[in-house]
Amino acid sequence: MDVEGEPFDRRLSRADMLRLAALAAGAGVVAGPAAAADAAIAHLTKETGRLQVMDWAGYGNDGGQAMFAAYVHKYPNNKPQFASPMTNETNAYGRIRAGAHPDVFRPYVGWVKFFAQSGLVQPWTPSLISNFKHLNPFMVKAGQYGGKQYGIPDDWGFDAILYRKDKVSPKANSWGLLFDERYKGKIAWFDDLEMITIAGLYLKAKNPWNQTSSELNRSVKFLKSKKHVARFNWSSETDLWQAFGSGEVWIAYAWPNDWVQMKKKKLPVVYMHPKEKPIAWVGMFMLLKNSPRPHLAHAYVDAWSSAKSGKWLEDNYGYGHANTQAKPSSSQLLKALQLTNPKAVTLPNAYLDRDIPQRSTYANLWEEVKRA
Amino acid sequence: MTQAAAPAPRRRRRLKLATPALLGLPVGWLVVFLIVPAVIVALYSVNELSLFPGPHSFALGGWYRLFHSGFMSLFWKSAQMSLIVSALVVAAAYPLAYFLALSGTRRKYILLLLLIAPFLTSYLLRVLAWKVILSDGGVINTFLVWVHLQAHGHSLSFLLYSRFAVMLVLGYVWLPFVALPIFVTLETLDFRLLEAASDLYASRLQAFLRVTLPLSMPGVVAAFLFVFIPTVGEFVTPSLVGGQAGYMYGNQIVDLFETGFPDWETGAALALFLIGVIAVLTVVFVRFLRIGEARAA
Amino acid sequence: MDVALSRNGRRIMRVFFALVVVFLYAPIVILVIFSFNKGSVPTFPLTGFTLHWYHEFLTNSDMQAALKTSAIVAAISSVVAVSLGILASIGLSRSRFRGRGAVTTLVLVPLVVPLVVLGISLLLLFHALGIQLSILTIAIGHVVISLPYTILILLPRLEQIDASLAEAAYDLGAGPFATFRRVTLPLILPAVVSAFLVAFTTSFDEYAVASFLAGSQQTFPLFLYSALRFPSQLPQVIAVAVVVISLTIVVIVAAEVWRRRVETRLEAA
Repeated sequence: MDVEGEPFDRRLSRADMLRLAALAAGAGVVAGPAAAADAAIAHLTKETGRLQVMDWAGYGNDGGQAMFAAYVHKYPNNKPQFASPMTNETNAYGRIRAGAHPDVFRPYVGWVKFFAQSGLVQPWTPSLISNFKHLNPFMVKAGQYGGKQYGIPDDWGFDAILYRKDKVSPKANSWGLLFDERYKGKIAWFDDLEMITIAGLYLKAKNPWNQTSSELNRSVKFLKSKKHVARFNWSSETDLWQAFGSGEVWIAYAWPNDWVQMKKKKLPVVYMHPKEKPIAWVGMFMLLKNSPRPHLAHAYVDAWSSAKSGKWLEDNYGYGHANTQAKPSSSQLLKALQLTNPKAVTLPNAYLDRDIPQRSTYANLWEEVKRA
Repeated sequence: MTQAAAPAPRRRRRLKLATPALLGLPVGWLVVFLIVPAVIVALYSVNELSLFPGPHSFALGGWYRLFHSGFMSLFWKSAQMSLIVSALVVAAAYPLAYFLALSGTRRKYILLLLLIAPFLTSYLLRVLAWKVILSDGGVINTFLVWVHLQAHGHSLSFLLYSRFAVMLVLGYVWLPFVALPIFVTLETLDFRLLEAASDLYASRLQAFLRVTLPLSMPGVVAAFLFVFIPTVGEFVTPSLVGGQAGYMYGNQIVDLFETGFPDWETGAALALFLIGVIAVLTVVFVRFLRIGEARAA
Repeated sequence: MDVALSRNGRRIMRVFFALVVVFLYAPIVILVIFSFNKGSVPTFPLTGFTLHWYHEFLTNSDMQAALKTSAIVAAISSVVAVSLGILASIGLSRSRFRGRGAVTTLVLVPLVVPLVVLGISLLLLFHALGIQLSILTIAIGHVVISLPYTILILLPRLEQIDASLAEAAYDLGAGPFATFRRVTLPLILPAVVSAFLVAFTTSFDEYAVASFLAGSQQTFPLFLYSALRFPSQLPQVIAVAVVVISLTIVVIVAAEVWRRRVETRLEAA
C-alpha cells in the first residue's frame, strides 16, 4: 500500500493482503473500487464495535441523524455512539488528553494545525471517501497540513454582523458597529478569543491572527474600553435568538443561520458583511491516531459528505455544507451563504479562519477583557 | 437464637469493632475522592503536574498570575455579590423560619416542606424561567407596558444580563434551603425562656432581641455559610443570566479549564485560593459558633 | 404561643409567607405555562396551546437515554452514599474516641467545597490515574456531594435511638450484623429512606460536577444545558422538566409525611 495507507498496513498480514486484492478485484467490477475496498477491508480487518464520535451538540442522535443515515444503513452493527458533546476544541483536547477515545471528532479550521501537530490525530485517506471530489477545494486545502489531509471539511459559515434595520443605522458597513456607542447596551458579542481577532481586523492590524504585542495591547485596551456597550457575550445560538427575539439586543456578531431564524420571526434584520471582511469558518472532521475503526470512520465521514446530507444540513441547521452540490431549499440562506460563489470563504470575499500561533496569549487576553 | 453466652468478653470485643472498621470505608472514600484530588490540584497549580506532555518543573507562574492579573479584583467582586445575596437571603428566611417554628401552626412541617420543595427541583430550568421573566419581552416588562408604567418599546434593561440578575436568581435558588437550619435552631428553642421573659414584663420585641435572636445565632451563621460558600464559586447562573457585567470568579475558573486555550496551572491556583478562603472562613465561623454556644450554656 | 408573636405579627407573617411562596413557585408556574406554548422559543407573547411537546418527549430517544442515565447515576450514587453514611453514622454515634472531631469534620467538608472545585479536582484525579470518564465517575462525584447530607440525616436518628436496645440484642447472643439488621435498621429505616431520597434527588439534578466528569453518556441536566444551547430541543425539555419537577415534589412531600408518621409510631412503641 502507498504512504497514505500506512496506518492500516500494520493490521494486514501478507495472506490477508492477497485475499483482499482478490476480493477487491472481484467485487470491484460490480461496486467500484472505493466501495469494494471499504467493504472488503472492513470485513477482513473486522473493525468491530460502535464508532465513537465526539461532536458538537445537535450533530448526533440529538437531531443530526439524517446526516449520517447512509452510514447507519450500511453498517448497522457499528452505529455511531456519541460521547458527551464537545463544548469547544479546548474541551475536546482536554478530554482526549485525559483518556477519552473517540474515533472521530470535529474541531474547526483554526485548529487543524494545532491538532495535526499534537500527535493525537492521523491523516485521512481521501481515496476512501467517495464524496471527496465534490467538496469545495478551498475548504479541502484548509484541512491540509504538511501535505496530508488531516481535516475533512463539513459545515461552514460566516462570522458577520446581524442588526435590526428599523432600530439601527450603521455609519458604515464595518465591524465597528459592534462597538458603536450609540447603541450601548443593545449589542451582543461572541464569547470567544475571536473577539481579539475581530478587534485586530477593525483596528487594521497587519495580521489579526498573529498580532504583534503592541497590536495586541491596542486591541485589548480597545475591547476593555468598549465592554460596556455589549450587553452580553453569547455562546449558544439560543441565547442570541431569545435576546434578539425579545428586543434585548439590536446588533450582534452572528452566523448566517441566525439571520435566517430572525427573518422567520418576521424581524426586519440585515446580515451585514463588513468592509474589513467577514471571517469564514469550516468544521473539520479529524481522525484519532490510534482509532481501531479507521475504515468505519472514513465511511461515516463519507456519508456526512454526501450532497443529500449537505442539503439536509443547510435546510435544517442553516449552516453551509462543504459539498458544492448541496443547495438549500431556502433562497434566503442561499443568499446569506453566497452559495453561488464557490470562492465565498476566501479572499476577496472573506478571511478564512486560520491557526492562531499565540492562541494561549489570545485566550489569556480575552479572559482579561472579561474580568476587567 | 438464644445461647448461654458469656457476656463480658463479647462486650469488650464489640466496643473495638464498633468504630474504626466502620469508619474506614467512608473516610477512605473521602480521602481518595476529596483529599487526594485537592493535593493534585495543588500540584497542578505549581506545575508539578501539567496538561501538556514534555518536561516541566516546580514553578510559581500560576500563583503569580493569580495575584497580578486582575483575578483578585474579580474575586472580590464575586465575594461582594455573595455577601449581599447571603445577607439578604438569611434576613428573608429568618422571619419565615420564625413563623413556622414559633407560631404554633399545626401544619408547620407541611409548610416547611412547601418552602423547601422548589430547592429539590431542576435548578437549570428554574434559572431559565427567570430568564423568561426578566427579559425585555418577558413577564415584568410586558406587564409594566400593559399598566402604562413604561412606554412601549422601552424596557428595564438592568433586569437581565446584569449583576442584579445573578444576585436575584442566586437568592431565589438558595432561599428555601436557608430556612431549614434557622428553623431547626428555633424549633429547639426552650419556650419557657420566652414565657419567663414575658413574665418579667419584657415586650415581644425585647424578648426576641435578647433571648431568641442570640440563641438562634448558630443557626443563622450556619445558614449564612451555607449560602455564601456555594455562591462565591458559582458559575452556572452567572453564565446564564449574568451577561458581561455578571461574570464571576467561578466562570473564570471554568474558562481557564474549558475554553480558549487551557491554562490548568492558573486555573488550579484559582481553585485552591477559593478553597483556602472558604476554609479560613469556615474555621473562623465555627470557632465563633463554639464561643456562642459556650456563652449560651 | 403569644409570647413569640402578636396577633398582628402573626397576620403579617402569614402574608409574608404567602408572598414568598408565590415568589418561589412563580417561575415553576411559568415553566408549566410554556410547556403548553406552541412557539419553540420561550418568549412572550404566547402563541397558542398545544400538547405537542409532551407528546414529542415520547419519541425523543436521546432525552429518554439522558433520563435513564441520570436515574442510573442517581441510583448508584445514592445507594453508595447511604451505605457509607450508615457506616459513618454508626461509627460516630457509638462512642467517643480520639479523632472523632476530625472525622466529623472530614465527612462534612464536602458541604463547603464549591462544586466547580470539586468537579475540577476529580477531573484532574481521573486524568492522572488514566481513568476514562463514565457513568461511574459521575456517580463517584455525587457520592462525595451526598455523603454529608446522608450523615446529617442518619446520625441524629441513630443518636436518638435508645442504644440499650442494640445492647440487649447483643447480650442475647445476636452477632453485630444480625443486631443491625433486626434491631437498628428497622428503627432507622425512615431516616434511611429520607437519606436515600435526598441523595437521589441531589444526584438527579446535579449539573456542575457532572459537566466535568461525564463520559459518553449524558445525564439529564447535561442534556438540559445543551438543550438550552440548541433551540429545537428546548420545548420538549421544558415539558419533561415540568413532569420531573412535579414528580419530585410529590415524592418528597409524600416521603417526608410518611417518615414522620412512622417515626412517631416507632417512638411510641
